[in-house]
Amino acid sequence: MKGHRPGPVIPARAGSLRSLTVTMAVMCYLACLAIGALILINRAIESWTGGLAREVTVQVRQLRDADIQAELEKAEQLLQSFPGVAGTAILDRDAGAKLLEPWLGNRNLDDLPVPRLIRVTVNTEAPPDYTSLAAALESEVKGASLDTHRRWQAELTRMARALSLLSYAVLFLICVSAIAIVIFATRTVLDANRPVVDVLHLVGAKDGYISRQIDGRFLKTGLWAGLIGVMLGLITFLLLGLTGPEGAGGVADASRSLLFSAPEIAIWSYSVLLMVPIAATLISLITSRVTLIRMLKDVR
Amino acid sequence: MAPTGRSDGLVRLENVGLRYGHGPEILKDVSFRMEAGSFRFLTGPSGAGKTSLLRLLFLALKPTRGMIRLFGEDVAAFDRARLPLLRRRIGVVFQEFRLLDHLTTYDNVALPLRVAGKRESRYRDDVMDLLSWVGLTEQAQAYPPVLSGGEKQRAAIARAVIGKPELLLADEPTGNVDPALARRLLHLFVELNRLGTTVLIATHDHKLVQQAKAPVLHLERGELRAR
Repeated sequence: MKGHRPGPVIPARAGSLRSLTVTMAVMCYLACLAIGALILINRAIESWTGGLAREVTVQVRQLRDADIQAELEKAEQLLQSFPGVAGTAILDRDAGAKLLEPWLGNRNLDDLPVPRLIRVTVNTEAPPDYTSLAAALESEVKGASLDTHRRWQAELTRMARALSLLSYAVLFLICVSAIAIVIFATRTVLDANRPVVDVLHLVGAKDGYISRQIDGRFLKTGLWAGLIGVMLGLITFLLLGLTGPEGAGGVADASRSLLFSAPEIAIWSYSVLLMVPIAATLISLITSRVTLIRMLKDVR
Repeated sequence: MAPTGRSDGLVRLENVGLRYGHGPEILKDVSFRMEAGSFRFLTGPSGAGKTSLLRLLFLALKPTRGMIRLFGEDVAAFDRARLPLLRRRIGVVFQEFRLLDHLTTYDNVALPLRVAGKRESRYRDDVMDLLSWVGLTEQAQAYPPVLSGGEKQRAAIARAVIGKPELLLADEPTGNVDPALARRLLHLFVELNRLGTTVLIATHDHKLVQQAKAPVLHLERGELRAR
């Protein structure tokens, strides 16, 4: 009898947790996708907000009685002397035509009065007073107007924030569903082992002892399901990254940036994704323990 | 160990009644007292309420009326959190054995010590000694489904007495064994009683009662009659 290892007090076969593992793994996979989406959306917001805040555009329209080249130079001079402006660059006529290409095609636009653009880089630490800049341009340069991109920025940010909120809502719903299925699985395991639990009570087992015999299995289930979910999530991002060429933008580039960005950013993304198995384990363990203690209280 | 009230004895029942749901009363005005260290039989025909009375005593049921005092305390006032500690002072042999099929005979017998948090290395010898006493050394690593009725009964008895309980309740403990083994088991109960355990055995076995020469509580249609 030396080295005898007592068998598990609660039989492992009764009330198998296999279907719980599968369901929890799917939940964790969905959580990974939602977290991936959140990271990408937040990065997009940062890049849009940063890019758009660093630059404004001055548009000079061709008016019948004005020399547009002279007006452009006048505008550039005004801009360069305005406090808060870091630099200017007049886009040539071809660059302006190129911007219109998506709408007008690559036809010859020589006969059309295509507006000319000045790209203005602003000092982000001390940006110019846009209202006085717009007023000065309009009064001194014929056909000039200032576009601060604020409308675009506001709309893009609003959309991104809505998507971000949606991702948080999805994560919340996944947590609620995970808790509900763990409660259901705990009840199933306890019901399947009711005769054993009765005997354990009658030989003097405390509720805590009985619940420890059962919730160890829920801990393992949560951890395994979380790891499987994260692995599937990483494989999905990898496959999405392979769906398009580099620099093409869209989902492929976004997925690649999630997995292969600079180490300081990648570490953060991977740490957030690794929170999934930790959260799954905690949800599984705490929910099963609370459910067991509550159910065992009803058993005399 | 909680002090036992001098006037209550170890077990005291006063006008205890029990009914299941809205059914008829299974036990009617049952009153008796057992002093610490006493030995009694509980007899009566099938359906007289013997098992129900034992279930009340090992706290698996609550009486519908009357008062039960165990170890000097009113069981109605027991906090549920204290039940496990009380049950560790009571050993029970169930009529239907209630062994756990997924544990070996050894692990079944050791169960009360294991749930009390004792280490296997500390109780191993005690369990093997007891298994030897009840003639189950060879079956120590066997699982209950392959044991005979008599072997299961002996394993159930061993599990009830392994923790050296203050009160031993046994429901037909010799129902499945031959007369020779029944005498041996009775000897085990008597030995335990001599060491201080209070024993109450529900049985149909008149020979067992005659051999032990212990006082009898006789139940008839839920009512207790002294004999």
